[in-house]
Amino acid sequence: MEKVKKKIGSFSFWNWVTASIIFRLILIYFPKNLNLSSRPEVSTPLTSFRRLAEGYWLKQSFMSPYAGSMYHGSPLLLSLLGPLTINRIEGQPNHLLYSLVSVIADVVSAMLIRATGQNLRLAYLRSLESLDLVKQIEVSEFLFSGDIAALIYLCNPFTIVACVGLSTSPIENMAVILCLYGACSRLIPLAAFGWVIATHLSLYPAILIIPVIFLLGCGPDSPPRKLFLQRHQQKEVLNQSKLPPRFSWGPVIHFAFWAFLWSVYVLVLCGISLKQFGGLWEMFKSTYGFILTVEDLSPNIGVLWYFFAEVFEFFRNFFLIVFHVNILFMILPLAIRLRHRPCYLAFVYVAICSMLKSYPSVGDSALYLGLLGWFVNELADMQFSLFLFCGYVGVSLLSPVMHNLWIWRGTGNANFYFATAMVYACLQIVLVVEGVSAMLNHDRKLRNLITGKPQDAKS
Amino acid sequence: MAETKEKSLSDEKPKPRVRPIVRLGIFLISHSFHVSVVCCTAGVLALFLLPVLAKNTYISENALMPGSASPMLSNQHVSDGNRLVKDLTNPNSKSSETGIESHKIIAQYMLDLGAEVSFHKFHPQMNQFHPLHFFSSPDSGKIQENYSCSSYGINTVGIIRAPHGDGKEAIVLVTPYNALKSGFGEALSLGIAYSVFSLLTQVTWLAKDIIWLVADSQYGEYAAVAAWLREYQTPKFSSLSTPNAEMCPDVNNLFELKGHSISGSKFSNSFRRAGTMASALVLKVRDQNEQFEDTISIYAEASNGQMPNLDLINVVNYLAVHRQGLRVNVEKLWSLLNSSWLKSLGEIFESLAKVAKSLYPKWKFGIPATEYVEGTATLASSLYYQALGVPTGPHGAFRDYQVDAITLEISPKFSLDKVWRNDILLRGGRLIEGVIRSVNNLLEKFHQSFFLYLLTSPSKFVSVGVYMIAFAFLIAPLPMVAASLYVDANSSSNCSKGDSSTPSAITDTDEHSIAIRSWRWLNSAKLVFIVHLWGAIVSLLPYFISQIPDCSPTTSFMIWVLLSILSLLTLNSVLASPLACAKATQEKEWALVKSVTISSVFIGLGLMSVINFATAEIGALLMVPMCLLAQPLKLDVRAGTLRSFCRMICNLVLGHIAFPPAALFLLKGMLDGFGNANVGDFWMWVESLWAWNSATYLFIVEVTYIFSHG
Repeated sequence: MEKVKKKIGSFSFWNWVTASIIFRLILIYFPKNLNLSSRPEVSTPLTSFRRLAEGYWLKQSFMSPYAGSMYHGSPLLLSLLGPLTINRIEGQPNHLLYSLVSVIADVVSAMLIRATGQNLRLAYLRSLESLDLVKQIEVSEFLFSGDIAALIYLCNPFTIVACVGLSTSPIENMAVILCLYGACSRLIPLAAFGWVIATHLSLYPAILIIPVIFLLGCGPDSPPRKLFLQRHQQKEVLNQSKLPPRFSWGPVIHFAFWAFLWSVYVLVLCGISLKQFGGLWEMFKSTYGFILTVEDLSPNIGVLWYFFAEVFEFFRNFFLIVFHVNILFMILPLAIRLRHRPCYLAFVYVAICSMLKSYPSVGDSALYLGLLGWFVNELADMQFSLFLFCGYVGVSLLSPVMHNLWIWRGTGNANFYFATAMVYACLQIVLVVEGVSAMLNHDRKLRNLITGKPQDAKS
Repeated sequence: MAETKEKSLSDEKPKPRVRPIVRLGIFLISHSFHVSVVCCTAGVLALFLLPVLAKNTYISENALMPGSASPMLSNQHVSDGNRLVKDLTNPNSKSSETGIESHKIIAQYMLDLGAEVSFHKFHPQMNQFHPLHFFSSPDSGKIQENYSCSSYGINTVGIIRAPHGDGKEAIVLVTPYNALKSGFGEALSLGIAYSVFSLLTQVTWLAKDIIWLVADSQYGEYAAVAAWLREYQTPKFSSLSTPNAEMCPDVNNLFELKGHSISGSKFSNSFRRAGTMASALVLKVRDQNEQFEDTISIYAEASNGQMPNLDLINVVNYLAVHRQGLRVNVEKLWSLLNSSWLKSLGEIFESLAKVAKSLYPKWKFGIPATEYVEGTATLASSLYYQALGVPTGPHGAFRDYQVDAITLEISPKFSLDKVWRNDILLRGGRLIEGVIRSVNNLLEKFHQSFFLYLLTSPSKFVSVGVYMIAFAFLIAPLPMVAASLYVDANSSSNCSKGDSSTPSAITDTDEHSIAIRSWRWLNSAKLVFIVHLWGAIVSLLPYFISQIPDCSPTTSFMIWVLLSILSLLTLNSVLASPLACAKATQEKEWALVKSVTISSVFIGLGLMSVINFATAEIGALLMVPMCLLAQPLKLDVRAGTLRSFCRMICNLVLGHIAFPPAALFLLKGMLDGFGNANVGDFWMWVESLWAWNSATYLFIVEVTYIFSHG
């Protein structure tokens, strides 16, 4: 996954991109043998390709696409991707066109990640320059985080599996990345569009509005503002131009306006396409309602299905609230602590969502692992990296094995599979905790460099 | 393990106050050498203790109620069975070339009982290894090859519909029968099955349908049963199937004959089905026997070390021992029975138990030395067959469809008089009747008892909770050593930096070391990944080699070796020459490579223990010492001390022994002398393994890869 990093020296970026695309195309030609689209790790009730095809079929036969609790995605996806589910080319694999769309979505996401990463790197260098730390931290050693992040996203087995497994998560991920890219490069309509579409498709990216506001208000990631002030106090020249800009409300209001516009547009489109089938209310009930009430308890790599299969019916609502408030609880403290690093905040939010969402899949992990690549320079001294790597490898191998034991061999049971889901959740927690603490340590190190204190081992 | 490793890593810079658990972690890692020696010894010792720790089996599903009803099989049914045996052994019935006559006789007998009869024609399908089918479920999507009409088999299937049942469930009784050269034993097994069958047509308590499958074993027992099961479980809805047996005139002839001679609605040309299978019994009677009493052998191992539910074995064992007075045994490694060291080990355990008992009378865990030796022999064979992953009989085919099945092989004390034959028919029949009656009582499928166990005798087993302890001991050193190597590699780089740098330059150098330190393992991970990739390629090669027609095992083995080396070289050149890079790296780097390798081995062994415990256990016995001892030869040569020399020798020996061809060569040499072992055998062996999709196969790759590191 992250092996790519070191190879950049000897191999050009584009070679790897082509290699990963070719690898995907090869895999697309064996869809029957791999049978990935029926794996619970890849296709959840929200992202399953089969359900999309079913919804499209229902709609074609003038029934509500949400009839029978099969399809739970957006009606826009039905109109855009639906025709691809039945189009076939003679002599080619069945879903070639749809797979190609996923591949293109992946590549586009990778390119957007690359552009954003370059943006972030430039911003980081600029802030180091204004802090006069360029000499102390060898900038020439800096890795091109944009390239690395893009390659991590493209070569990550999780991304490849989600792409070849015909799930819709490449598209959802692309919307999220579009939103962050727009916010980083200050293309406000694009950011608003990405945010509205991402929220429309899978609800959870709604909380990305906080990092986006920070991004638009203060610009991309930089060391805390306090440091700049300290630096300039030392020099006793207050050079306003070198300070990062203060929070400005203009772009945020601009963003709000565009977001409103885009959401009205999307809702109108949905309303038109669902006019005969119960309208928008029906859509909200079977997409957002389905996500929030955890109706489908079929196994996935999350932890909620097992819990809600066990819980007593009259506690169900209580625990639904508890689980969803869990995400909301973490928003505020993290936003306060990491407000100077909005992109990193976005990464943490995405990781937390993919851990606590009701129907997680490996596509979500692919997204946040890709975003993690942006911060290779900052997170260079992250602890447990080997442990986390081994953990991810182990869990991603163990999960299909446990599923096989439970479903096919009949010698295991649901607890076997759930155990891997728990380990997976723990790994994600360790990743987030270590990542955040490494980032805070990095800030602390910068502060020590400025104040001239020797580096202490406080962590 | 994660715990210890995590703790260890968090304490690269020791703080004044550390929590006890962290201190424990540090302690374990700093003494990883001693701890790993202790753990490995404990693991091996625990493995030898398993026969002592075995528990008595018990019937865990209450609904089974074995032996609660008195057997209804009477002499009338026995004489029916005898009639069939006589007809089959009659030389007239063997006149036909294809043995159709005897199938007709059997079908006729079944029809006379009022059962539904059909023939199932199949082409023997060789087990084809398909690399991409490895992980998918059994499916019907196998492409039929073009068959000739000359080779097909006929299974005769008789079905009794249960008077009280709803037709949703069924019990299967299988008797392999080779019509062309059937021994007396096979005829006798048909006789037993027939007598039970004739009883079951009359009884009123039957709630599940009974299927009697006379599997045509001229192409192997397994192939016939597997073909029938495939047809049963995965119906073909399309009529577009490639030319099959129906086209052949000979078979059609058979049907016409049948149609003429038997005018009844009970016979049908189409494939007949009953409900889902609750369980299956394969019944065999052995021809030659030199034992002094009637014994019955149970074979349970299915593909990849899967076992049927323990309750099924329990029921058979209980009924055979307590009702029919038959001796039950399971497979043993006979060579172990006479080994003196095992005997003395057993005596040591026995005397230890005596001492313990004298100290505290409630400690009763000892077993007599002879029993210990027998238990170990059984355990060893149980481990061996599970590890091999090749089913020990036709029952293996059932397990692929989650049906619990065992093979019962009755070996009677041989004499030819009629009384004896009636006796064995009566007792065998009553045993089968009892088992079927028990299974008939089941309300759900077998789920109460264990699926993961090792047998040490027919009535003793070691459950997963016990044998996993031995395994855990064995692999516990791996994460510990990996963590300690990792910590060492990191801290040593820090120390050297700290010594060389003055306080003023500390920030600068720290920046360097930090940037490298935490992600430096990526390089080693890359190396390990590439070697794994190579292993995967090597393991997929036989599939392509086997496509080459007309290859003797020796040549194909040579092709395999050549292609493997070629692929290694290609990978080497394409992917930034990883091996050269490894050679150039220093000691520290090497420690990291070892650390990553060991963690990957740990993950692999952990996975394997879930898939197939026995393979993982045997693999761990080989690989754990290899992983822990591994050290670059160059370093050892340079060090030149006695200890490093010993270690070098150990490495070389272990590396060569664990390399699978070498291992097989040694084994073969030990078994039948070094003269007739050749590399072709290895090819055959591997071929037989991958034909069964064996997990062992994956394992070989793993071992190969370790070797390439050594």
